[in-house]
Formats: sequence, structure tokens, C-alpha cells
Amino acid sequence: MMQQVGLLAVILLLSLVLVRFSGTHVDRETGQTVSNFFNPGSLVQILTETSFFAIMAVGMTLVIVSGGIDLSIGSVYALAGVGMALTMRAAGWDSPWAALALCIGFGLLAGVLNGTMVATLGVHPFIVTLGTMWVFRGVAFVVSKAESVLVPGPVTDFAKNPLFLGKGLTPVPAIVMGLFILGGALYLNRTTMGRRVLAVGGNADAARYAGLPIPYILAGVYVIAGLGAGIAAFLGAAYFGSASSADANGYELYVIASAVVGGVSLNGGRGTVTGAFLGALLIVLIRTGIRLLRLDQNYEWIIIGAAIIIAVVLDRLGARLLEKRMVNG
Amino acid sequence: MKVSAVGLSKRFPGVQALSDISVDFLPGEIHAICGENGAGKSTLGKVLAGLYSPEQGHVALDDRPVRFSSPREAQAAGISIVHQELLFAENLTVADNLLLGEIPNQFGWVSDRRMHETALRWLQKVGSDIDPSMEVSKLSVSKQQLVQIAGGIGRGAKVLIFDEPTSSLTATEATALLGLIRELSAAGTTCLYVSHRLDEIFAIADRVTVLRDGAWVGTKPIAEVTPSSLVQMMVGRELLPSSEGDGAFGEPVLEVRGLSSPGRFRDISLTVRAGEIVGLAGLVGAGRTEVCESIFGVDRRATGSVSVAGKSLVLGSPQRSISAGVALVPEDRKRHGLVLGMTIRHNGSIAVLPRLSTLGWLNRTAESRTVREFTDRLRVKAPSIESLVGGLSGGNQQKVVLAKWLATDAAVLLIDEPTRGVDVGAKVEIHGLIREAAASGKAVLLVSSDMPELRALCDRMIVLREGVQVAELGRAASETEILSAMAGV
Repeated sequence: MMQQVGLLAVILLLSLVLVRFSGTHVDRETGQTVSNFFNPGSLVQILTETSFFAIMAVGMTLVIVSGGIDLSIGSVYALAGVGMALTMRAAGWDSPWAALALCIGFGLLAGVLNGTMVATLGVHPFIVTLGTMWVFRGVAFVVSKAESVLVPGPVTDFAKNPLFLGKGLTPVPAIVMGLFILGGALYLNRTTMGRRVLAVGGNADAARYAGLPIPYILAGVYVIAGLGAGIAAFLGAAYFGSASSADANGYELYVIASAVVGGVSLNGGRGTVTGAFLGALLIVLIRTGIRLLRLDQNYEWIIIGAAIIIAVVLDRLGARLLEKRMVNG
Repeated sequence: MKVSAVGLSKRFPGVQALSDISVDFLPGEIHAICGENGAGKSTLGKVLAGLYSPEQGHVALDDRPVRFSSPREAQAAGISIVHQELLFAENLTVADNLLLGEIPNQFGWVSDRRMHETALRWLQKVGSDIDPSMEVSKLSVSKQQLVQIAGGIGRGAKVLIFDEPTSSLTATEATALLGLIRELSAAGTTCLYVSHRLDEIFAIADRVTVLRDGAWVGTKPIAEVTPSSLVQMMVGRELLPSSEGDGAFGEPVLEVRGLSSPGRFRDISLTVRAGEIVGLAGLVGAGRTEVCESIFGVDRRATGSVSVAGKSLVLGSPQRSISAGVALVPEDRKRHGLVLGMTIRHNGSIAVLPRLSTLGWLNRTAESRTVREFTDRLRVKAPSIESLVGGLSGGNQQKVVLAKWLATDAAVLLIDEPTRGVDVGAKVEIHGLIREAAASGKAVLLVSSDMPELRALCDRMIVLREGVQVAELGRAASETEILSAMAGV
């Protein structure tokens, strides 16, 4: 909770910097001068970009809290997107709900596969998901013949529906993200399964001695991670209008980074879903900031990498100070 | 060498661990430092050994003030500590560990031969035949301890600080260690013995210093104190004597027939009736913990028949055992009993989550109520049930484990070493709680290495030796009878 105050402060600070220094442009329709950063279009755009990471980061947080890791999450995204697009094309469907169901289905399938292997094989999740990371992407590559597959128009219209907002604004991904984060947070904090995930991640031995059904608990978090990747894939493929086996390449690391910046402990047992969202938001803000402040884009990775390390170090420092204060007070 | 604490004070966040402690430890004496958990006895040892630096006061060697900024400087000055929790790089060999700080080398290349020779010489000084090329993880705890002592003596220690050295040793190993400490002190080494085991203190100490809540209570020659006066100094109050059970029990609740687990124990049969406390006695490695773990379902290879309240139990799954009404308070509470990073509320409810939820949705009011009910009844001392379990003292942690299982309303309580590392006051309380649980009709199977504890609590005792049930003794059995059954002499 307190950790997120620090993260929130950093995000606000960065936002202020962007408001002040990102420059302005003249809106073509209204003729008014607006900030390059602080305008509805840019803000919704940032939330949209965040949503792809953050939805996956929810599942990743649960996985890491349980003491594991899911490296295959980006590949599940690609597989779900490609699988959905191919099935829609082959069946001649164009309903966005069918597309959503397909993406969720493929995501869950991949999650069940990961979860079952982690729960039963006794191999470290890093290795299991390192393997499936290539397998899933490889399957997507083979079935799509390495081509980009178009998504039916109505599906794109669904994801880009302006709803109650003005023309050109696309709040659907952000809304889905909000719902998924809410669901994830409730799952972790208010359900018995969430509590069990925390216990298994905190001390797997003690959890076993308390009679918890460990294989189900472990499998469960990978299934949720798969679900998140499926939903993110639906939003992504629909939003961009196509799916390819190269989608979300390397996203697993952005997603892990989001979770870690958000305060999840790689040792398991500690982490919050809202923190992961803030972590994802910070990373997207940094990427946007580089563009808006007209910094050399070639430095993007260097800046993001350094920012992650700094964020985590500051976070730990803050937590330690807070701990001292609580003990003394 | 004489070592003195001169007005030492040490503060930790939220607690004054030591306040103005002044004691002289004389050359060649065995000086016991005792007190309840949290009294500051380990902290005093650690300050003397340079692990902590004091805020006020100083350490003096032969009346010369010294200041250590690291344990290495203390070692160089002749003070070594044998830790409560052994600190080893377990994947390395004995020799590697002994010389970790000063690996003999030539331009960075390790000289294995010189390392082996030095380690061997040091080990021989403490009369040990441990092979320096053994991996530390393959040694028993007592051997690991010898390695630590050898490290201290080898580096020329004039002062050795033993921090709860026997807490994980068997009776025989402990006796051997006490013998070694006597020899070391006879050879002129000043030995500081931090412990709350009264029998050991009376067995070896020349003088004893008692601390309470970080403050000095007294330093006395051992001849001037009795066990009860010492306990009174430690806790600052009189302790109630143990009460006797009346011997009336209910129906058999736990029935075990022909329970075996390959390589651990075989053919164990026992019955525990409602309201009865049955002890499982035996040396470390006799299979006591393993029997409990099999009944609880942790050991998948166990065979035999176990029934609870007349219903037969299929072994091999803790979930099944728990739903049949079995609870296990495990030996190693930090590893198996608690999630240290979670709160008392989370730990206390973990075994009863289904009862506290509807369709997987936790009812947090009911959770808090249940946990509070049991932590209140067990008098867990903590700011609130939202406190992290990792920050509690050993005794309070153990009470949280007990609370967690009492909340399941299990008919059978398997309790393994309930008071290990728990201070005297909490020990008495935990004994009371176990008796209360039995009096309320639960069947209790108790494992303990603490002989007085077994004799104080148990209505009957079953003795195991090397995995075989060798004797059943009544409440009246003497300590000698029990010990000889355990050791087979």
C-alpha cells in the first residue's frame, strides 16, 4: 500500500514534467493550443498502450506472488491472437464476442498447459515457461505461415468504439484493463484462492503442512496468466486490425518489469495487482515521454532499463525506512 | 583473558535490547548468561563478539577498552562466537568454511593442500575426527558446531561465546559438547554460555548472569542459586507447579495399527483416547517426527491403518487427514508451521479458509473474529492480529501455530517439540494450553526431546528406538527408566 504511494508520486512527477516540457500543438478542429501530453487523445492513448501490458501484468503478479514466473506470456498473446484471427477467417465469423471467446479459450488452454506442467513435473516454472515460450510462438508461427492475419472489421470497431467519449478516442482497452485489475485485486485480497496463493509463495512447506491443495493453487495462477494474455491479445489484435506470430515479442520482460516495479517480490509471497498496473503505467509513460520530449529514441532501452533498477531500489529504500518508522512508532 | 562489558547499551528499532550492562567474565571461567527470550542474552553475546556495536559503553579485554567494528576484528583480538543458527556455506567443504575469511592462496589461486592441513590441525585441537574435505551439509548439527568451535580455537580464541549451542542437539551430543566446554575452560579459555536450559547451566557454569528485558538482574556463583531462584530471577515471578491429570479418559480417538514407512520406522501401533496426552519419546532420529508426519499425511510412502474416531483414514494427503480431524503442530515452526511474511490473521485462518468463505469469497469479519478468539484464548502477545508473524518471539509464534490448529477443531492434535526455542514463561503457558486442549476432549500425541516436559505432560509414553516401538511407560516412570528405554541399555 505505502509502496504504491512512492510509485504514484514518481508517476505524478513524471506527468508534471511532461505537461511542462512536452510542448504544444494547435488542435485542427477547435483551433485551440493544447499540450502535447495533457490532452484527451494522448492520455487515452497512453492508457490503451498500458492496457496491453497491465492486463498481462495482473496474471504475472499472481504467478510471481505464488513463487513462480511465466516467461511464455508474450507467446501466449501471439498464439491467442493468431489462433483467433485464423479461426475467424476459416469460419467466416465476424462477431467481436466470438473473437473474445476464442482469444480467452486459447489463452486458457495455454495457461492450463503451463499450470499442469508446473504443478506436476516438479521442474522450475522458469524452465517450463522458457520452453513453452518458444513452443507457443513456434506454433503461432507455423499455423500462420509467418504471415500477418487480418481481423474482421467489426472486431476492430468493437475495440475502437469511442463509447461515450468523443470521436477518435478509444476507451475500450482501458476499461477492460480497469475491470481486469479490479478482478485481480479482489481475487488476491478477498478470495480464499488468493490467500492461498500468498501463502504458497510465502512458504510452500508451511502451506503443504496446512493442507492446502498446492498443485491446484499453482496451476490456477498460470491459468489466470493465460486468461490475461488471451484478453490482452484480443484487445491488441482487434485494436491493430491484425495478428501475427511476431506480436508481443519480448513483452514477457516488460510485463515482469511492470510487476517488479510495482513492488512484487521475486521470492514470492508479496505483491499487489494495483502496483503492477502502476508499474506498467510508469513504463509506458517513460516510453511516451522519450517521444514527447524529443529525446533520441535510440536511448529508449537504456532509459527504461535504468529506470527499472532505480525504481526498484528507491522502492526498497522507502519500504525499509517505513518499516523502521513503524517499529519505532 | 578477562573480558568485560562496561555499561553496554544497544537499541534496536522499537526495543531497548541492552541497557547499561556491566559484567566481568573472568579468565578460564564458564559463565552462563541466561534470561527469557528477548531478555537480551544473545544480543550481549553478539556485542561482545563484534557482530553488533553498542550505542553506549564498551567492551574491555583485560581492562583495556576495545572497539570492534566487525566479528573479524573480535576474532583477531581472541573472541569467537558459536552461533545459535549455524552460519555456513553449506555447499562447501569443512575446510572451505573454516578458512573462508582467509583462504590460503598464491596470487589468487587456492592452495587446497594448505587449507586441508590447517583445517585438520584446527579440528584435532577440539578432538574431532571430522574429515575437512566433507561437505558441511552432510554433517550433523553437532558436528557442524564442532567445526565452528574448531574455527574459533584454531584462530587462537581466548574467549568463546556459545549462543544456545544445544538447542538442536540430542542428549548424548549435548553431553559431549558440555564435556568439551569444560576441557576448554580448564585449558584457560573463557567460555560464555548463553542458554535458558537450566539443567545445563547447573551442570557446567561457574557463575551465572541473569538478564531481564535487556537489564542486568544479577551475577552469582552457581552455588548460590537454585533452579527455582534462577527462574524467579529470569521471569520476575513465581511459576505455578504442574498439575496432575486424573487419569479418566474417553473413547479411543486415534488408533494406529502397523504403521510403517520404509527406512524411517516400522510397525507402530498406538491408541490415544479422548482427553489423553500420549508422549512419543526417543532420541533424535528414532522416528518420532516421522510417525506424526505419516499420520498427518505428509509422508506419501507410509503404510498401515490409521483411524480417527472410528473412521478409517486413507494416508498420504494432509488435506484428507485435516478433514478427518487431525492437526499437526510441526517441529520446525518457521519452515512448516508459519508463513513468516504474513500477518497473524492470515496465518491463523489458513487451515480453515473454506469455513470462513462463501463460494470462495472470504468473509473477513468472520476471519478476524475467529482468529481473535483463538489468539485471545492463547494469550498471543502482539500489537494486533495484523502484525507480521515473523516479528513475534518464538513463544508467540508457537502460540499462533497452536491457534491455527485449535481453530480447525481437530479431534487429534499431533504436537511436535512445542517448546523448542521458547522462553520459560511461554513454555509454562504452552504446557497449560496443551493440558487444556486435552481436558476439552482432544487426543494429544506429543513428541518432545525435553524430558521434564514429557514427564510433566504425558499420561503415558511410547518409546521409539531406531524406528521401532520398544516400550510403553506410565506416568510414574522415572527419568532413568525412560532414558534407558530410549538408548536401549
